[in-house]
Amino acid sequence: MSELNLSLPLAPTVARVASRRVIKRLLSVLLSAACLSMLIWVAWLCFEWAFVNATVSSDARQAECVAGGGACWSVIVNRWRLIFFGLYPFEEHWRSVAACSIIVVTVILSCVPALWTATRLGILWLVGFTGFYILMRGGLFGLSLIREEQWGGLSLTLFIFSASVLIGMPLAIVLALLRDTKLPWISKSTGLIIDTIRSLPLLSILFAFAVVLPFMLPDMMVGEKLYRVIVAYALYFAAYQAEIIRGGLQGVPKGQDEAAKAMGMSYRHRMAYVLLPQAFRTSLPATINQFVVAFMETSLVVVVGFFDLLASGNAAYRTAEWTFAFVEVYAFIAAIYFIFSFGLSQYGAYLERRMGLGKR
Amino acid sequence: MSSPDSAILISALNKHYGTYHALINVDLAVAHGQKVVICGPSGSGKSTLIRCINQLEQHDGGTIRVLGTAIDADTDDINRVRQDVGMVFQHFNLFPHMTILENCILAPMLVRKVSRSDAEATAMQYLEKVHIGDQASKYPGQLSGGQQQRAAIARSLSMQPRIMLFDEPTSALDPEMVSEVLEVMVSLAAEGMTMVCVTHEMGFARRVADRVVFMDRGEIVEDGSPESFFDNPRNERTAKFLSQVLKH
Repeated sequence: MSELNLSLPLAPTVARVASRRVIKRLLSVLLSAACLSMLIWVAWLCFEWAFVNATVSSDARQAECVAGGGACWSVIVNRWRLIFFGLYPFEEHWRSVAACSIIVVTVILSCVPALWTATRLGILWLVGFTGFYILMRGGLFGLSLIREEQWGGLSLTLFIFSASVLIGMPLAIVLALLRDTKLPWISKSTGLIIDTIRSLPLLSILFAFAVVLPFMLPDMMVGEKLYRVIVAYALYFAAYQAEIIRGGLQGVPKGQDEAAKAMGMSYRHRMAYVLLPQAFRTSLPATINQFVVAFMETSLVVVVGFFDLLASGNAAYRTAEWTFAFVEVYAFIAAIYFIFSFGLSQYGAYLERRMGLGKR
Repeated sequence: MSSPDSAILISALNKHYGTYHALINVDLAVAHGQKVVICGPSGSGKSTLIRCINQLEQHDGGTIRVLGTAIDADTDDINRVRQDVGMVFQHFNLFPHMTILENCILAPMLVRKVSRSDAEATAMQYLEKVHIGDQASKYPGQLSGGQQQRAAIARSLSMQPRIMLFDEPTSALDPEMVSEVLEVMVSLAAEGMTMVCVTHEMGFARRVADRVVFMDRGEIVEDGSPESFFDNPRNERTAKFLSQVLKH
């Protein structure tokens, strides 16, 4: 009998567990539903603000926009040229558009695996960049000269980004290789340079190059502020990218180098054809990440007095009639940054999938 | 044995890893066309010895002459010597980002300055010879271990070397793939290639080797014909090793 008594409490427990599970299920369903409806509600509010109640007419001003109750895209309609082109002369805006298109096409082309040899990429960027520069600066082929301090908006952002990556990438490779040499004083001093740059905030480096450097260098060596800023960005990019590449090189099995050595290949050939291509493949996610970060960080040039995309956006609403519409301007700029950065990271994901297929 | 026209002539070779004495006064001469099998327990220095021949490891005492050239750390000379000394590794070490054909033409084009079409013709000829001509456009990761090792042999041969070094070429293979690699090595030997081969494949040694060298603890313990080596080893360490290897 006592045994029976002991086993009795078990019977109701089963039922209790079952009911507890039902309650848990119910709770999680309710919670999910609540969260989902909240999300939908927020999404709808945004949609309503951005599209349904939005005002897009170029004649609309604050009064009309407030009456509409939604976004006031009129500010973009009226001021988009300032956002995209900054202080670039109005009648020459087509040049800025053409220049931007060239850079975008160059970037897209360099994403095509078939062009991934040092020569092809080199030629592509040389052509793309020269085209961009001639269009933007002019002074050649009957194009009027437009000095760098007048550049602005999206084209300035793209210029700073692509120029600093273009200089920074080869520099990163050189730094990575120097840090890995067997000569201790070279590798130690390269390591010191890399670690110093990495331990400084980008802002301070920008300031040093834009503001402090002119006091320290003889006049003839100072050059345009824009190029000093680009050098600063390139150094900063290179210091981080060098470590990414070095990490990639360390991931290449030692046997790869030995096999190449055993066939009599020189250091230069082993690096260029065997080790670096593999290092780039393994470090691709980190490299793409570094590109996205570099793109975002171009917006810091505003502190040394350049009108990049973000700064031109600031200028776009800083007039008496548009001060109220800053949210719209920032949303617009955010969308532009998003398109570029999201595109880059999607491309990175595509590359990873592509390389996951078989090759090793 | 140490005639001046030896393909490889090693005398009083010493090598240290820190305080560890990896090679102790090793003397070895390999005549042109000779096939030498080096065996011995792990850690005996056989891989170190073969890797000193093309300077993947640097020795710190003694001399090495390969095809008449004295070898040291001077890179110009060593790269010239390496062109004539092919090496096959335990882990194949094919370049994973290139197709098999690209693997085979890379060094001939860069180092020997052969034109692409000539390099491809030579490479295809060797790939056919190791029976993987139909795999030429695949990547190494798509091949089996045995196929990869044969591709690695073809890659080495594409440089048209005069000496081939094999560093445990079958140790990383699944058992059923060992023989296809050994067959290729046997036919290479039959063509008169000078071969130095670190291996535990005693059947291969008996069939192909002119000489078997037994190493233990950094020293050459025994050096003789396969018959004398297998049938009546002079040293007790050799006898012990053989009894362990041949047990299975």
